[in-house]
Amino acid sequence: MRARRITLSAALLILAILGLAPIVLMFMRSLTVDGAFSIENYRHLLATGRSWQLLANSLALGLATALISTLVGLPLGLLFAKTDLPLRRMFVLLFALPLVIPPYITAVSWADMLAPHGLASRFFGETTAQVASHLMFGLPGCVLVLASTFMPAVMLATMTFVRTINPRVEEAARVSARPLRVLSGITIPLVRPGVLLATTLVFLLALGEFGVPSFLRYPVFAVESFTQFTVSYNFGAATALAVPLALLTFIVLGIEWFALREKIQSLRPASNGDYNYFVPLRAHRIWLFVLVSVICALMVITPLLSLMLQAGSWQSYARALEVVSGSLLRSIFLAAAGATALTALGFFVGYVIRTRAMSIWRAVDAGTVLLFALPGTVIGMGLIALWNRPATNFIYATPLIIVFGYLAQYTALTGRVTVAGLSLVPTSMEEAAASAGAGWMRRLARIVLPLVKHTLVTGWLIAYIFCLRDTGITMLVYPPGYDTLPVRIFTLMANGAPALIAAACLFMIVATALPLIGVASLLRLQRRHSWR
Amino acid sequence: MALIIFDSVSKIYSGKTVLHNFSLCVERKERMAILGPSGCGKTTVLRLLAGFIAPDTGTISIEGQTVANNGEILVPPEQRHIGMVFQDLALWPHLNVEGNLEFGLKAQRIPKSERTQRINEILELVEMDTYRRARPAELSGGQQQRVALARALVLRPRALLMDEPLSNLDEELNQFLRGELLRLHAQLAFTLLYVTHDHAEATEIGTRIVRMRNGRLEQIASAQEFKLQRTEDRRHQVE
Repeated sequence: MRARRITLSAALLILAILGLAPIVLMFMRSLTVDGAFSIENYRHLLATGRSWQLLANSLALGLATALISTLVGLPLGLLFAKTDLPLRRMFVLLFALPLVIPPYITAVSWADMLAPHGLASRFFGETTAQVASHLMFGLPGCVLVLASTFMPAVMLATMTFVRTINPRVEEAARVSARPLRVLSGITIPLVRPGVLLATTLVFLLALGEFGVPSFLRYPVFAVESFTQFTVSYNFGAATALAVPLALLTFIVLGIEWFALREKIQSLRPASNGDYNYFVPLRAHRIWLFVLVSVICALMVITPLLSLMLQAGSWQSYARALEVVSGSLLRSIFLAAAGATALTALGFFVGYVIRTRAMSIWRAVDAGTVLLFALPGTVIGMGLIALWNRPATNFIYATPLIIVFGYLAQYTALTGRVTVAGLSLVPTSMEEAAASAGAGWMRRLARIVLPLVKHTLVTGWLIAYIFCLRDTGITMLVYPPGYDTLPVRIFTLMANGAPALIAAACLFMIVATALPLIGVASLLRLQRRHSWR
Repeated sequence: MALIIFDSVSKIYSGKTVLHNFSLCVERKERMAILGPSGCGKTTVLRLLAGFIAPDTGTISIEGQTVANNGEILVPPEQRHIGMVFQDLALWPHLNVEGNLEFGLKAQRIPKSERTQRINEILELVEMDTYRRARPAELSGGQQQRVALARALVLRPRALLMDEPLSNLDEELNQFLRGELLRLHAQLAFTLLYVTHDHAEATEIGTRIVRMRNGRLEQIASAQEFKLQRTEDRRHQVE
């Protein structure tokens, strides 16, 4: 018991130091002017009309992105999880692709496509492309890019929650109602809490997004806060600008916590079935397939194609490799290190939440989700406030600060994955080991970890993707000479050649996809081996 | 003419034949119990009849109309007018008792006044009229059983299929609800197909018993014949 208490307490302490302390300190710094307590930053914030404009822009971006993501993601999730649509597995993979690509890369590809000599002007003429390009640089463009990036989150959440429904519940309705009515009257109301959770997350991610609005010149709080910090180095004003975002995040998550959490937890199958409720599309199969293909082409294939066309010849790739190879290797190394640390910390955090091993498990759960939903720039400024001092320079001046940033923001991901994995392991397994005389560490190492190892690998992969694509934190805290590929691309976007940027973006996609393919193949091989 | 006819029906799941050349006639208003161990194919019979799955070979007819034939569902579930009570009841957790009953009636486009009348009648019949606003999670196991039964019966189905609905209850409640089911059958005179693995339950509820084993129909007998034969079998075993 002692070993358990010490280990879990240490894990939570690390989380508090890396995640909570920077945010608290940042908030306190925003209440300080010239070393004395002052609310001047907030007074200035509330007095200027621009703050309200920024708030309106941020909310419009968050709401429109969440709405469109849900309107597209929910039907797609239902189609892929519940029907016999042709090639649905391939569609799921394709639609999920933008989720692993940094959103500003999608923004770059759309901007390339709508540029004077881009794909759009070739197909639709220069005037149409000009109008579209004008729309692209503003709210519609930001919403298009962010919705295509975050829509897969709603789609995947819908698929996941739909699969938790006891198929008999839907069949009971099918006895008297047509498939569409079963969907609208039974299936959708049952998954509504889960889908709303995903919608909330999309709203928060869009609200805190900095890269896309910055590139597409749409003024929101996250961009303004970053600009105040990097251009004017006005730390107080920058943190004061970040606080409304943090507050909004806190309020939205609070509502989600009280309104949805219990309902989501009640979404459990009544019993295990050996079959699933499936809706044959019959005559609608063809036109739905065409419609999904068109959406896929628009949201996924066209931006990728545009990047490839923009990159052009092999010389661009060679030149890009020369320019960004250092950043690329650093990105992969830091993402792998961050993912490993996140898997370890997330395991213990998930263990606390799942087993309710400590009385503060609810606070831990809420805290990690809050940190995940906070804009990266907010966490980045918090890290600077905490670690940028002579005594801690051995951390702040090294890439370790980037890994700390990853741990601060993304523990919710690996923690949640661990909770999902542990929920599949009956409590009796650990209890049986305990009754056989095994201590906690031995039980963990010999029983629990082997049973959840595949879940942990999945958690590692998810963490790797998020670390690799991170811009908000890394942009603010990376030490000189330690820029990552997303940061490098972002800086190249200011004055680099479009072909070079496009090639670098494609390297980024490959760096994301390769480990995914590698680990997936390994897992498949291992599974085949274990069957034999 | 028989209400339901299974004619040489077979069903294969993942290469395994779960129903072999199954033929059966069910008469109007009769109570038929399908008895057999787990995995013998009795639930598959109900799922085929409800229209959730299609037979790989053979024909299923209801009131002379072919509803499924050789791998094809000709009449979808909602047009078969068959009610079903599932083993885990499958009550809709987001709807209250009244909502659970009203869903099917609305889907069948029954006018509001008739819906209200039917719901009132059936709730009174199953003695659940004071719980119409309650959600399934707020009800006891026995009350949930009654709601599931009422939900199926409110649609006035041509036949009611019950898939081991009492198997998760304690013996006392199980006994009580069997009596309730027989009382409702006497009042409403519906055709009943009752799946169970319990001999006593089968002989109490069914007027005819169908015994299945390994996806095959092994025996059809009246409840009395079945009881007699079972007593004989036991005596032989003792001797």
